[in-house]
Amino acid sequence: MTKDIVIVKDLQVWFPVRKGFVESLVSKEQRWVKAVDGVSFNIKDREIFCLVGESGCGKTTTGKAILRLVEPTGGSVKYFGAGKDALLADMIKEALHKKKITPQQAEQFKQSGGLDVRSLPKNKMKALRQRMQIIFQDPYESLNPKQSIYDIVAEPLVVNNLGKNEAEREKRVEKALEDSGLRPPKDFMWRYPHEVSGGQRQRVGIAGALVLQPEFLVADEPVSMLDVSIRSEILKLMLDLRDNKGLTFLFITHDLGVAYVFSDRIGIMYLGKIVELGPTEEVIKDPKHPYTKALISVVPKPDPRMKTEKIILKGERPDPANMPPGCRFHPRCPFAMEICKMTAPEQVFVSEEHWVCCHLETGAGK
Amino acid sequence: MTLLEVQGLRTYFKTQEGTLKAVDGIDFMLDKGEAMGLAGESGCGKTTAALSIMKLLPANGYIAGGRINFMGQDMARVTGDRLRAIRWRDISIIFQGAMNALNPVKRVGEQIVEPILLHEKVDEEVALKRVRELFELVGINPNRIREYPHEFSGGMRQRVMIAMALACKPRLVIADEPTTALDVMIQAQILQLLKNLQRELDLAMIIISHDLSVLAETCDYLCIMYAGKIVERSTAIEVFSNPQHPYTKGLIAAFPNIKGEKKMPASIAGNPPNLIRAPIGCRFAPRCYMTQEICNKEEPPLVEVAPGHFAACHFLKGVNA
Repeated sequence: MTKDIVIVKDLQVWFPVRKGFVESLVSKEQRWVKAVDGVSFNIKDREIFCLVGESGCGKTTTGKAILRLVEPTGGSVKYFGAGKDALLADMIKEALHKKKITPQQAEQFKQSGGLDVRSLPKNKMKALRQRMQIIFQDPYESLNPKQSIYDIVAEPLVVNNLGKNEAEREKRVEKALEDSGLRPPKDFMWRYPHEVSGGQRQRVGIAGALVLQPEFLVADEPVSMLDVSIRSEILKLMLDLRDNKGLTFLFITHDLGVAYVFSDRIGIMYLGKIVELGPTEEVIKDPKHPYTKALISVVPKPDPRMKTEKIILKGERPDPANMPPGCRFHPRCPFAMEICKMTAPEQVFVSEEHWVCCHLETGAGK
Repeated sequence: MTLLEVQGLRTYFKTQEGTLKAVDGIDFMLDKGEAMGLAGESGCGKTTAALSIMKLLPANGYIAGGRINFMGQDMARVTGDRLRAIRWRDISIIFQGAMNALNPVKRVGEQIVEPILLHEKVDEEVALKRVRELFELVGINPNRIREYPHEFSGGMRQRVMIAMALACKPRLVIADEPTTALDVMIQAQILQLLKNLQRELDLAMIIISHDLSVLAETCDYLCIMYAGKIVERSTAIEVFSNPQHPYTKGLIAAFPNIKGEKKMPASIAGNPPNLIRAPIGCRFAPRCYMTQEICNKEEPPLVEVAPGHFAACHFLKGVNA
């Protein structure tokens, strides 16, 4: 069995709703936008795990919460990558030194394996982020136009105080640029973002993440701003990094077509919850949740002769500050039953690794 | 009757480094009630071509040659009041990124009333009634006309934009990347709406997108543009079932097919050429997999490979190179 790199359990990110003056006088109740509301999954070593959903379903917030770029309000994130060992040893040493824990406790700590990302103090989090990096969606806005590509890629080294001198940093930047397919790196290093194409910009973004030699990458819609003709080059680069550098990816996208060809396992998110999860091919070829089925049916087919029945859902997703009771999908679900309005469905495994949250599968409606 | 006929259109931009030939000699025509797709990578000139028709070019852009025959007049030469009378009444546009195209401090209803009052001799009451009908037509609750753009979601704002484009009952609607910023589900809703409207109102439509799969489902005809030129033109079915140009083949192969096998789609290596110094010969040659000597010397003409199917390549089946 392959080892897990990240285990996310009941992850919760709630944002408080600010109240107006009058409302604060009338009601005491605090309302929340439940962006991520109890999400659990694991990502295996050298796997590409994909989260798919409409905008506002919480997929990006989930990715950021894993790196603690937004603070989770509940649940746990455990990290098992190789990079955690040094960090863990360091922390135990420190705690022993300050006599906060006994040697026995330290031993237990080592045995437990995973590093609890949520309880990590700020300074240690910075060290861990060298192992866990993120690639942002928009290569046009995420790069500082006033910095040269060298400065952009070298910045993480400066921030983390890595590299003894300028020469060593330059070497690492060169390596990162080369690994992200900007060859020869010397040609690109001293240019500015506006002087390279969109695909190359995204490669600069990837190089900025690679320069710290991470083990785990969150890729947030890395190809959605790019032309279709160059998308697969960026995807192939990421596959290559997985195969040759042993990187693990959490890939976030709204495009099921890309998710299908690229990922190993897939999780379909709707309004802060994962509604279906399983091996990519199985989920796409044999979807169980009505939402998954609808999403698959509306992916445009690159052929006008292929006429397929489309399940176009009416309306838009409900407001995450005002969640419907029962199954969150029931107001838009073509198969909604009485029970769906009352109780939320539990996870049901339809095969060894493929589960779904739907009353059609739990059999409760019959 | 041909509604729109574009002949040898050339649109250039003056830049500091020289003249940028964004659109360099394109031809196409469009009949009443037909939908045509303009496809290509960013920077291929597809938006510039469409903006030329409405003469909405930025200050440094100008039409350097060619004719745009729209309902019996040459749009390339129409100016002043006559141009203003045609714009929005006969041709309207749905802009890319509905998020930013609406005025945030005006109620959406007022924004749509504006072109109606400008173009037609009606009072505000009649115009507002029309806006309510338009809202119904595009699937928005008519009671929302007094709301502001920020109160609408992305998909709804795009519907407002569509309602605005239809306000003066135009003959031709240009949709510039109408679904690019939207989710798949909303994209499907908007595409279905556009298609229904086009049929119901017998509209001619030009849809611009880099996403061939979006055009495949909505358009009757397709023009594939590359570096300011049309490299292939035919019915949508013909382009997909029998693509002739290597670039078209590449674009089609670049799509992940969710119904097919799980495999990585192909990509087209390299970047489009700089249009200030366009290469001699075929512009696609540096990225093409079948480039021969002739490609770097001579520019291939657009020839008819089958009835109504045009392509520009030196190595077309059944055509002597």
